[in-house]
Amino acid sequence: MALFEARNLHKRFGSRVVLEDVSLAFEEGQVSGIMGPNGAGKTTCFHVLTGRYRPDRGSIRFGGTDIAGLRPQRIACMGISRSFQIMNLFDDSSVIENVLVALPEFRARRNRPFSSVFDDPDLLDAAREVLDQVGLAGRDWEPSVSLSYGDRRALEIGVALAARPRIVFLDEPTSGLGADATRNLAALIGRLRTRYTIVMIEHDMRFLFDLADTISVIHWGQVIADGTPAELAANKWVRRSALGELA
Amino acid sequence: MTQLVPHLFNGLTLGLLFALIALGFTLIVGVMEVINLAHGSLFALGAYFAYSVLGSGWAGETALAAWWAGLPIAARYTVALVIGPLLAGLAGMVLEVCLRPTYGKAPLYGLLLTFGAALVIEELIRLGWGTGERNLALPQSINGAMFLGGLIFSKYKIFAAGFAVLAILGVWVFLEKTPYGAIIKAGAHDSEMVRALGYDLSRLRLLVFGFGAALAGLAGVVMVPIWGLRPHVGIDVVIPAFLIIVLGGVGSFWGSVVAAILVGLAVGLTGAYASAWSMMSMYVLLIAVVGFRARGLFGRKSALEA
Amino acid sequence: MTTLSDISPRSGAWLTPQKLLLAAILLTAPYWLPAIGLYQYIGVEMVIWIVYAMGFNILFGYTGLHSFGHGAYLGVGAYAFGLFQHHVAVSLWGGLGAAVAAAALAGALVGLFVSHRRGIYYALMTIAFGQVFWFSAIKLHGLTGGEDGLLNIPRPGLRLGLATVDLNDNVAFFYFAAAILLVVVIGIWRLVHSPFGRVLQAIRQNETRAAFVGYEVWRFKWAAFVVSAMIAGLAGGMFAMAQESAYPDVMSLHQSGLIVMMVLVGGGLVSFWGPVLGVVLYFVARDVLGGLTETWLLWYGLMFVAMVMFRPEGLAGILASLRGAVPGGRRREIAAE
Repeated sequence: MALFEARNLHKRFGSRVVLEDVSLAFEEGQVSGIMGPNGAGKTTCFHVLTGRYRPDRGSIRFGGTDIAGLRPQRIACMGISRSFQIMNLFDDSSVIENVLVALPEFRARRNRPFSSVFDDPDLLDAAREVLDQVGLAGRDWEPSVSLSYGDRRALEIGVALAARPRIVFLDEPTSGLGADATRNLAALIGRLRTRYTIVMIEHDMRFLFDLADTISVIHWGQVIADGTPAELAANKWVRRSALGELA
Repeated sequence: MTQLVPHLFNGLTLGLLFALIALGFTLIVGVMEVINLAHGSLFALGAYFAYSVLGSGWAGETALAAWWAGLPIAARYTVALVIGPLLAGLAGMVLEVCLRPTYGKAPLYGLLLTFGAALVIEELIRLGWGTGERNLALPQSINGAMFLGGLIFSKYKIFAAGFAVLAILGVWVFLEKTPYGAIIKAGAHDSEMVRALGYDLSRLRLLVFGFGAALAGLAGVVMVPIWGLRPHVGIDVVIPAFLIIVLGGVGSFWGSVVAAILVGLAVGLTGAYASAWSMMSMYVLLIAVVGFRARGLFGRKSALEA
Repeated sequence: MTTLSDISPRSGAWLTPQKLLLAAILLTAPYWLPAIGLYQYIGVEMVIWIVYAMGFNILFGYTGLHSFGHGAYLGVGAYAFGLFQHHVAVSLWGGLGAAVAAAALAGALVGLFVSHRRGIYYALMTIAFGQVFWFSAIKLHGLTGGEDGLLNIPRPGLRLGLATVDLNDNVAFFYFAAAILLVVVIGIWRLVHSPFGRVLQAIRQNETRAAFVGYEVWRFKWAAFVVSAMIAGLAGGMFAMAQESAYPDVMSLHQSGLIVMMVLVGGGLVSFWGPVLGVVLYFVARDVLGGLTETWLLWYGLMFVAMVMFRPEGLAGILASLRGAVPGGRRREIAAE
């Protein structure tokens, strides 16, 4: 059984059906991609998978447990993490603090009203380890707002990783990145894939095709194709969808 | 059942006047995404300005003052009914200018600023007119009691209700049938689009704030003979206005009017059963509506959701 | 603009230079207050309001939740203290305990309603609740004494070992209040530097992310509300002792607004000590400026409006940027939400 499986998801907003009978499966240890044109439902799908929206029908199973309809904070504690396309960082805080607050060890102490935080070297080390993973080593106390866009993107992913998830969902991680930064991001994902199961929505097809083990294509709120990059490249519907020839 | 009629009528009158207040409030929220906590102070200001215009003090000891005092009260009242709100509208424009540094920042700042402005206006009122209760002189024709169907009605409340209806229709005509109104309406729905169409957004905001403030001031002039004229008379204005736009939908004209009438009736009916607590019913209603609705406004995300 | 998270992200220590300075100032206040032309009782008032303001800022500045009706909890505390003295026992800690407990209960109930919201809905709900409390205090004559309030509230003695300190003397009472203030300050300092406090700040900065990182945001917002209400209640109990009475006016929208203004003007949005500065500034305005002109509140209000427009970081923020205390001396806007 796949690590994360969604079956027959339906979602409508008012009278508009946004997702229709969507089924997806993500195997452990793989990099899976979701792509499709704008407005096709891939973002909504992502939000449903990560708990922001509740599906009207269908099931979502993670490691065998049904998580459909659970609130995001519960899902986060179960080992599922996500990053955001429009960055959601803690803008008043330094780089290390952004990551610190996401660590499970920190979270375990959240109800303690009087113990001190920054006096604990183990916590800080754990945070630094995460920063190291995403290429922000040594920049602990820099204010997160003063980072370059590419570094903020790295931090955005770092916050998601700090929770030590089993599966990480990345929402259009290349969004807004230039060519260099995109290359760095691809290298980062290459390093991360050995530790995490990764699911990415992406617009940048080259990026996705280079990195993903399997890709699902969503169009008109349905999964129209599913397979390895090679298989999809040969699929005429995928080509037409990607080239914008389908309405 | 006939016991309820006076209360229902009071409630209806209150509701119609609330509608005037809410219309100004919702336009401001729609175009500027600012919750104007000073709306009640502008309401009070309109009434106080009218009070001053009505008297002759504004002209000092001059011949002008004597001539003005000699005019029939109906004439002076009519002029006050126009000038008071206009001056309140001007005050509203000043407030809009003060709000400009807060645009683009978190909604907190607009809220804090209008809150501070409410205090400042109230202090200015205290300084200008003193803390005591004042009375707005009324023409005989709309003062006193009237007998209808065996019940006693206040002539003034009938006038107030009728005037409010006319004013609401006037606002509707303005919004629907004039070019200015069309721009304001469009701005209330999508200010970005309005700017893209080439209209000066800052002039639009100024205009809308002034218009909204003037409506509040107009409601103030009409309402104070019922509510009394004291510096803090505007305090109980913002909460019902907010409640009304939550119920009726931001920027929705008839939504505001209908919701306003319902709120007014609720207050009126509470007056029948627990009169000391009737004003509190608005606050309790707000708590109930906002506390229990998962998404305040018909699913549409707005600045209020922040 | 500096932010709360900038200033000393590291030191959660029990004792710091600033706190020692505060203690020294408080210890010697009865001596230098008259020397600069003020009267001793103002020390008592300021201490009580600083307690109130510091507690308030846990909610306002640290958690980013804007309560415009917080006077209700000060009032509840004051009434609870008074009612305890009149109907249960004349007891210092009993009364203060009752004040805190009553305010905690009120805060817990109101918190249930408001903590699922934020922003404007939150603010307006707190106003509505504040008005309901205020109105109830006026109407429930039998309990609260109506508009006149509860009068003749005694000041119970403080039992220290075998001796009892009479707190009717304002200087003695001042030292008692100052001691409570120091305890509150140390407690809040630890609180905002603790994991709990950091989570509150994370929620302020990005509620969505805080939820997706695994925190039950609603519960934390509720807890922050209750804690700030409890501290307001404590201040209320002290207030009832100081004034020897409790009345509805403290729950009015006007008074609730004053604490908001004080805290912002002082720099509560960016500094732990902001509320202290804010209270001091307000009382200086009230008593020094007020001695010169009747319109002091108007000027204070105008200053508040000007600060919101141009310097929302308040006095503490202005001082910090003048000192170059912010690393890199950078300036930035608060991200629009």
